[in-house]
Amino acid sequence: MKIDLANPAWQQTLPPARSLATDAPVAACAFNRDGTTVAFALGDGCIRLLPADVKAAAPDAAVPLHKGVVLSIVGDPAGDGFVSGGDDGRVLRIAADGTATELLAQKGKWFEHLVAHKTGAVAASAGKSMFLLRDGEVREFGPHPSTVAGLDFSKDGSRVACAHYGGITVWSLSKDVTLPPRRFAWQGSHVALRWSTDGKFIATGTQENDIHVWRVAQATDMRMQGYPAKVKSLSWTADARYLYTSSQPVFTAWPFAGKGPEGKPPLQFGDEGAGLMTVVAAHPSAEFVAGGYDSGELQLGDIRTRRSVVLKMADGAAITCLAWSPDGFKLAVGNDRGDLLTIDLRR
Amino acid sequence: MATPQTSAQVPVTVLTGYLGAGKTTLLNRILSEQHGKKYAVIVNEFGELGVDNDLVVNADEEVFEMNNGCICCTVRGDLIRIIEGLMKRKDKFDGILVETTGLADPGPVAQTFFTDEDVKARTRLDAIVTVIDAKHFFGQLEQGAEAEQQVAFADVILLNKTDLVSADELAKVEDRIRGINRYARIFHTQNSQIALDAILDKGAFDLGRILEFEPDFLHSGHDHHHEDEVRSLSITADRPVDPDKFQKWMGALLQIKGGDIFRSKGILAIDGAPRRYVYQGVHMMMDSDWGTPWKDGEKRSSKLVFIGRSLDGDNLQRGFDDCLK
Ligand SMILES: [Zn+2]
Repeated sequence: MKIDLANPAWQQTLPPARSLATDAPVAACAFNRDGTTVAFALGDGCIRLLPADVKAAAPDAAVPLHKGVVLSIVGDPAGDGFVSGGDDGRVLRIAADGTATELLAQKGKWFEHLVAHKTGAVAASAGKSMFLLRDGEVREFGPHPSTVAGLDFSKDGSRVACAHYGGITVWSLSKDVTLPPRRFAWQGSHVALRWSTDGKFIATGTQENDIHVWRVAQATDMRMQGYPAKVKSLSWTADARYLYTSSQPVFTAWPFAGKGPEGKPPLQFGDEGAGLMTVVAAHPSAEFVAGGYDSGELQLGDIRTRRSVVLKMADGAAITCLAWSPDGFKLAVGNDRGDLLTIDLRR
Repeated sequence: MATPQTSAQVPVTVLTGYLGAGKTTLLNRILSEQHGKKYAVIVNEFGELGVDNDLVVNADEEVFEMNNGCICCTVRGDLIRIIEGLMKRKDKFDGILVETTGLADPGPVAQTFFTDEDVKARTRLDAIVTVIDAKHFFGQLEQGAEAEQQVAFADVILLNKTDLVSADELAKVEDRIRGINRYARIFHTQNSQIALDAILDKGAFDLGRILEFEPDFLHSGHDHHHEDEVRSLSITADRPVDPDKFQKWMGALLQIKGGDIFRSKGILAIDGAPRRYVYQGVHMMMDSDWGTPWKDGEKRSSKLVFIGRSLDGDNLQRGFDDCLK
């Protein structure tokens, strides 16, 4: 992928994009498996499916599929569409044409977090339980000590880690061997979780504005402090050399290559944006990173050159979600006012 | 980052009270009345709530200790999560009502609104409303600390089921309530029947309205208190306050006694400052700001109010006196 942020063209003109305005906050966005469609999960129960091609015509507004808020959405790892979770207590499979099938229902619960793995599995959390959806079956794991506030698959998809009050729990998903879950304890409430792309580390953000990271094999841990707000967005680079964290005015990456980040400061670069970064998303294959701010600003950074460009000016509507297309050419962006933005970075 | 205090913050009313005191009846009243407003209701169990227009969210009370090693510094994790989720909805609310379980300590709920920045940015704690069963209150006081805590934290108290007790019994219950918390407004009710403006939009945690309500001291008959009893008291000063000394004293006081001090608030005449300094706290957590300016010729006096357990009024007064110019 050829993106040279030093090229003046990046500073002067924005890449091709499509922006649609809706009137419901965007809770999450995702591309489907082959990157042809982008989906935005909205606060009115609708899921807006749009062609990933920013020049293609946008279809008419969608009908509500969930009863309340669509809280989470991922590309369906076993199909062409998406899987969504809502505060109506349902997980739906959304086909490419927008038709929905119910996969799971838990009365009175909120499906706040969904993750997908390329093996075709989806993990969803509602209340104190984690649900694994794989090969047409649903298995429940839990209960955890509190509501699950973040979850992620291991690199090979054989395990799922769940964040909760008092630490994290790692479940082995094997059907043949039943292993007891591993509990990694750390006092306080853990509110976000991402497993490193090489499988070696699990990072959480805490209620006390810290980052906590465990080495899975050794069960040793480390803590990074000094954030002015809770870190609810964590993103590992494709090569697992860096962990990006939100809640700073610039891109903030902890180095995990070699001996790890202990005793080192994080790498910080980019324009000091207006406000604090609310969402950060490392590129799926290259050294780029996208960061959205509570002010509405959107930046694209390159960790090799430490350069960054502003892709979207601050407009007061906090960015709530970011998603890269699988090929890394397109970026989907949603905010709390209901703007649905898709950017094509091939200029 | 500072969170702007705007009117866009949704007011939150907390309803506490023992099981059977009349919380659900009160909730149903609030929701069924023709007020044209829309509420989100956070309950622990789906009761018989007759709601069409409003949203009912079921929550488990998840009380989380903060990572500072102090047992009184707690928040409601479920509330933080639910408020965040509610703010993702297209349809906005005029208010949020939080019903606690009968045995809940209101501390964690209140502290959530003092500590969590996301919650503070989107909502404001309006008032803590406690419903009391006039007939069973004394029995509930015997059963544990909760009934006392619920009275101590209250801004508004519904002394309910007054039809089930004699005038004499009622007076005794009210006297006992006043002994714990003389700063709450008390309403006598039957079947939780109350005008909504008596319990909603009270601004009880609004720093601009601190100590707006002067208690009726004629009612504070219960003065023969025991050592570990919960009660409320106020201390005053007519000389200006030295801000550094006050900060040090209050900091140390809350460090040592924060677990026993449920609520505190105050208006201070800071030496040389043209405006009142106002603060309020729940246990160790505090909010403060500059209030309205003193008028020309107005008497600049300070007043602090404490509601808590094992409070030594003389000791507090002496400590405060040492902070004066
Ligand atoms: Zn404490």
